Amino acid sequence: MGDLLGFILSGLVSGALYALLATGLVLSYSASGLFNFAHGATAYLCALAFYELHSGFGWPAVPTALLLVFLVAPGLGWGLDRLMFRRLAKVGETAQIVATIGLLVALPAAGLWVVELLERAGAPVLPAENQFGLPGVGPSPAVSWQPLDGVGIDSDQLITWIATALAAAALWVLMRHTRLGLRLRGAVDNRALTELRGISADRLSSTAWMLSSGLAGLAGVLATPLLGLSAHDYTLFLFVSATAAVLGRFASVPLAFIGGLGLGVLQNLVAGYASFAEGITGFRTAVPFLILFAGLVVLVRRRRRAAGTAAADPPPVEYLAGKGWGRRWGAWVVAGALLGTAFYTVTTPFWSGILAQGLAIGLVFMSFTVVTGLGAMVSLAQATFVTGAALVAGLLMSHGWPFLAAAAVGTAAAALLGAVVALPALRLGGRSLALATLALAFLADQVLFQLGWLRNGDTGWEIPRPVAGPVDLGDDRAMGLALVLLSGVLVALLTRLRGSRWGRAMLAVRSAPEAAAASGVSVVRTKLLLFAVSAGLAGFGGVLYASYNTRITATDFTAMTGLVWLAVVVAAGVRRPQFAVVAGLVFAVAPHLLTTYVTESPHLPVILFGLAGLALANDPDGYCAALPSRRAARHAVKRGTVARSGTAATARAGGGRSAPLLARTVEPYAVGAAGTAPGTAEGPGAAPSVRDSSDGHGGAPTALGSRGGQGEAPGALELNGVHAGYGGAPVLRGVDLVVRGGEVLVLLGPNGAGKSTLCRVAAGLLRPAGGLVRVRAEDATRDGAVARARRGVRLAPEGRGIFAGLSIEENLALQLTAAEDRDAVYARFPALAARRAVAAGSLSGGEQQLLALAPLLQRPPAVLVADEPSLGLAPRVVDEVFRLLTELRGHGTALVLVEEKAAEVLGIADTVAYLAQGEIAWSGPRSEVDRDRLAEAYLGTGVRR
Amino acid sequence: MPRPLRLIAATFALFLVTACNSASSGGSGPSSVRGVTADTIRVGGIVSMTTASGYSKKDTDLGARARYDRANAEGGVNGRKIEYLGAEDDGQDPARNLAAARKLVQQEKVFAVSPMSSVTFAGADFLDAQQVPTVGWGTLPSFCGPAHLYGFNGCLVPTPGGTLNQTWPEGLAAVLGGARGKSVALIAGDNDAGKFGIRTFTQGFKAAGFQVPYAKAVVPATSMPSDWSAYTKEILRSGPGGGAPHAVVSVMQTPYNIGLFTALKRSGYKGLISDPTDYDPGLLAKDATKQALDGVHVLLQFQPFESDTPAMRQFKADIRKAAGGKDVPLNMHMLTGYMSADLFLSVAAKAGKDLTTESFQKAASGFSDTGTLVGDRALPKGQKESFGCGALVRLENGRYEVAVPFRCYPPIPFG
Repeated sequence: MGDLLGFILSGLVSGALYALLATGLVLSYSASGLFNFAHGATAYLCALAFYELHSGFGWPAVPTALLLVFLVAPGLGWGLDRLMFRRLAKVGETAQIVATIGLLVALPAAGLWVVELLERAGAPVLPAENQFGLPGVGPSPAVSWQPLDGVGIDSDQLITWIATALAAAALWVLMRHTRLGLRLRGAVDNRALTELRGISADRLSSTAWMLSSGLAGLAGVLATPLLGLSAHDYTLFLFVSATAAVLGRFASVPLAFIGGLGLGVLQNLVAGYASFAEGITGFRTAVPFLILFAGLVVLVRRRRRAAGTAAADPPPVEYLAGKGWGRRWGAWVVAGALLGTAFYTVTTPFWSGILAQGLAIGLVFMSFTVVTGLGAMVSLAQATFVTGAALVAGLLMSHGWPFLAAAAVGTAAAALLGAVVALPALRLGGRSLALATLALAFLADQVLFQLGWLRNGDTGWEIPRPVAGPVDLGDDRAMGLALVLLSGVLVALLTRLRGSRWGRAMLAVRSAPEAAAASGVSVVRTKLLLFAVSAGLAGFGGVLYASYNTRITATDFTAMTGLVWLAVVVAAGVRRPQFAVVAGLVFAVAPHLLTTYVTESPHLPVILFGLAGLALANDPDGYCAALPSRRAARHAVKRGTVARSGTAATARAGGGRSAPLLARTVEPYAVGAAGTAPGTAEGPGAAPSVRDSSDGHGGAPTALGSRGGQGEAPGALELNGVHAGYGGAPVLRGVDLVVRGGEVLVLLGPNGAGKSTLCRVAAGLLRPAGGLVRVRAEDATRDGAVARARRGVRLAPEGRGIFAGLSIEENLALQLTAAEDRDAVYARFPALAARRAVAAGSLSGGEQQLLALAPLLQRPPAVLVADEPSLGLAPRVVDEVFRLLTELRGHGTALVLVEEKAAEVLGIADTVAYLAQGEIAWSGPRSEVDRDRLAEAYLGTGVRR
Repeated sequence: MPRPLRLIAATFALFLVTACNSASSGGSGPSSVRGVTADTIRVGGIVSMTTASGYSKKDTDLGARARYDRANAEGGVNGRKIEYLGAEDDGQDPARNLAAARKLVQQEKVFAVSPMSSVTFAGADFLDAQQVPTVGWGTLPSFCGPAHLYGFNGCLVPTPGGTLNQTWPEGLAAVLGGARGKSVALIAGDNDAGKFGIRTFTQGFKAAGFQVPYAKAVVPATSMPSDWSAYTKEILRSGPGGGAPHAVVSVMQTPYNIGLFTALKRSGYKGLISDPTDYDPGLLAKDATKQALDGVHVLLQFQPFESDTPAMRQFKADIRKAAGGKDVPLNMHMLTGYMSADLFLSVAAKAGKDLTTESFQKAASGFSDTGTLVGDRALPKGQKESFGCGALVRLENGRYEVAVPFRCYPPIPFG
């Protein structure tokens, strides 16, 4: 019993550190969608800084720790967010993972480089190597007590507990009882909605990164006595604490925190009681990764569908589409021929060797083009396949097998391993899959490759260069030339594979697994095959790489090596196999060039490498494709502009397709008394003003066709010739709309007409490719969602515009800071009052819609754009919703109601516009709406006359 | 496939088949006088300096430089000065280790590599194939067997059928007043290396007459436990009659030892504690390590810095000189570099004026001397087993004291 208590208590020490790190991970992930592999490196950096400042400069411990935790670490988080994370949030998940992997190596190197510079400048820094038993915040050596028999604690542990408890309490107060915390939780719950409410998610993301880094800093300072100054150990510690973040589903801070504590205890208990596994070498070492893997598979399984097998990641636009063979391959063939010739002409033996090594590692790198480039899955286990294949091949060759046969069996073994690693891929995607493959890679290192008969101790196996008949690859030049040929063959094969039926199946699975399954493509088989092919390729390359080295030992390629490889390949580009060859050559050659010509410092190249992640934020397809794809994009933009300006010009000239329609509808369609523009000028919250919507449409000319008229009363929201679309596919083709304060414009249209796109443009979520957006007469075209919301434009998005994870009270508090405003809402809606502490997600659909609209009654916005406000609601509730909307109109709000079904909504409309195929097909006062016109608009015939 | 591509591929393939016959024999064939001129011998080194784990052997370079400087000050080897290029940093990365070896041989054209001290030796096969005499720390199996590779204190990895160095068991027996009836607990990391360590030392301690009631490779090898009670409890119940064993022997790295030893002492353990890694006067600079290691017996396989012999005085003087006249804290990496250089110089001196790889190898094959900092050296015995010498020091009141003086012990067969 004393044992158990002791294990639990001391398990809470590492548990506390896990909890701090996991909490930081969750905070930063939920704020920007980025899993920060470099989180442990931040902790290391703070530990290093603490050590140098405290032990080197002699600063007092506690103030130094406070300075680091409250100032330096948050500052680092803020800087990284501004420079990197914010921009990465907009690119694909692979680029995100890779960029933080780059940081993972760059940050420690940067720290050590600074120490090196300070040392040269004569500052009293201490060497950072071989430092053990470092002092923490408390007394050193630690004071220890034995409160119970068999249960001992020391001052370092006590400090860790107290600091963690304080951090937890402070975090709880911040998140639960401050406005900032409420906003942060809102952003975590629904980032887009926060922006629609006028709260800058970017700023919140900065705050989250500062908090996250601060927590990492705290963990770093607290862990200094335990982990010393090993960047490697901090990173391992982080991977383990990722388990706790998984437990919190990357969203719940309290769950992650508790998960971290539990993890520490569990680990200790396993260490204490796992005597059953003594026969398995490496089992105890592997315990954290077993937990991580199991946690991922078990926990993510529950949301299997939501997690998605592939991160619905459509392949990028092909910039070489339609180019001839010469354009596609000419340069590569010439480069290959030059390289092959160089081996026998210009390169010295040393450079021949380096180039051959680069080509060999390039073969391994090609495996990434399959799994990550084609399949859009991030595998961090490629090094495992390399080691596995090479060990098997070496084992067989030691029994006299010929090279080719051994290599074939090794490749098959790697493919088999790949199929095993693929199993989690069947249900995980994105970062979860990346973590799962990482866990498996560590498990392989720590258990599989510890098998004595497989690894042959530290000696490993000899893998001589292949000799077949007259071909002897013992010479580096011959090896290099053979590798050039082999690379060419593999590039051709992989390119063909991509275009084959199977390659198309993979693209289908990657883009839309359900659809692929529905059209007869087996998702399971495709993914297994993909991983197996990739692993086999890695294994084959690995055998050749090992034969370049002439030996393989179990520690040559570790899980961490795999991380770095991924970063190197993705930086170059994973879209084409030939990029992998470039990556291999750069990986082999660059370090030597840098040390020869640039710097002697061992840290600077590492920092440069890590910063390659920054480049990915600009060119997510890697540096190989950067120039051509930029050029292609420029061409596309140019073409697009030409086409669009053409349309606009014709429209203006009155000869466009929509011109006759406009001419026809302008006359009768005029809303609002001239010059009143009621309410809107004073902004939201202004007193309800006089409205005359019911008694006539004879005032100012409106929107449609009012482009020419200057000096007329401005609309609350005005769209002028708006073009918009997604990735080059146009959706809106010159939409004109005006809605004035105290007026309801109902926008009707069939599915796919562009209604939601119009809403997104109105709310600032989508920037129009052409045309103007004006809010209260001011040009707001270039606004983002936040700025638009601050101008008084609100979007009630399709579905419910609420934060499902927050309580009713919190949902209201996000918009109504004053308690009396909230009380007024409760007085009006007693149903909400009764359940103010209940999570909004548990309300019925109608109640949720009421909750979304209720605060607006207290603080009416200038414009409310409601996308399908009646969707999925019972008729009685729809009436209630429309009553609220009418009331809002009474407060002077300009309303744009977008509906697919016209029947109910027409009852409150002042004007009606039909949207068909991205254009306003007809618009006019409600009185002129008749069945024919409705049908005409729905059928789209109004446009194509 | 378009025609030009076919042409290129065919040409390359043909080239590969025909050209390489000559290439394989002539390609980068070693020159017997590579790196040797009338008055210089060019030597390089490979050392892990920067690492992600915070473990560095960079002082190895200083040690080697100190030894070469003295050799040059004394007129060089058979009239040739040593041109020591300094050590390449391999960052504990196998790929960089091999690249460093290739760079030294193919670009810098060194005659020999000494010192080579790292946790990985991927360049071993290359150096041996290129016939580059290489001297380093023989903790890796590559130093046991290949003709051109030498451990400065022998090959430290026992191989089945070879022998086992008995320095540690014999030394501890001396401290405990005999091995009869004494029990030893052995603990190591949970990986293949740890398991191998447990296997060899179990045999060694049993052969010396100890009981070994606890011998386990159980400590997580990559993430250090924050809590050692699970291990200490089991160890402290493993001795005779369920009590504590007479000695606890750790075959782990310093950070692990600090945690384990602290936990043992807090549990009230009064017996003998020993390990083979913590002889580093730098550890005394910190109160935490000083306290954790207090009373611990540390095994070392060279003369302790505390001993007062002419060779040790010379070593200290050379290091001070190489460090620019400053008193730097000594550590075993300096000695590794120093003695690697020393072994190379001694063999090269014996090879005579006509220094070639062949003459060096010939000189090495019958080389022996006595009374050095690593005891009695003999080759080629040293390519199969350790020189078998060692000492135990004990950390007492913040200072290392010699507990069992440096001497050589006869090895036992290992199997």
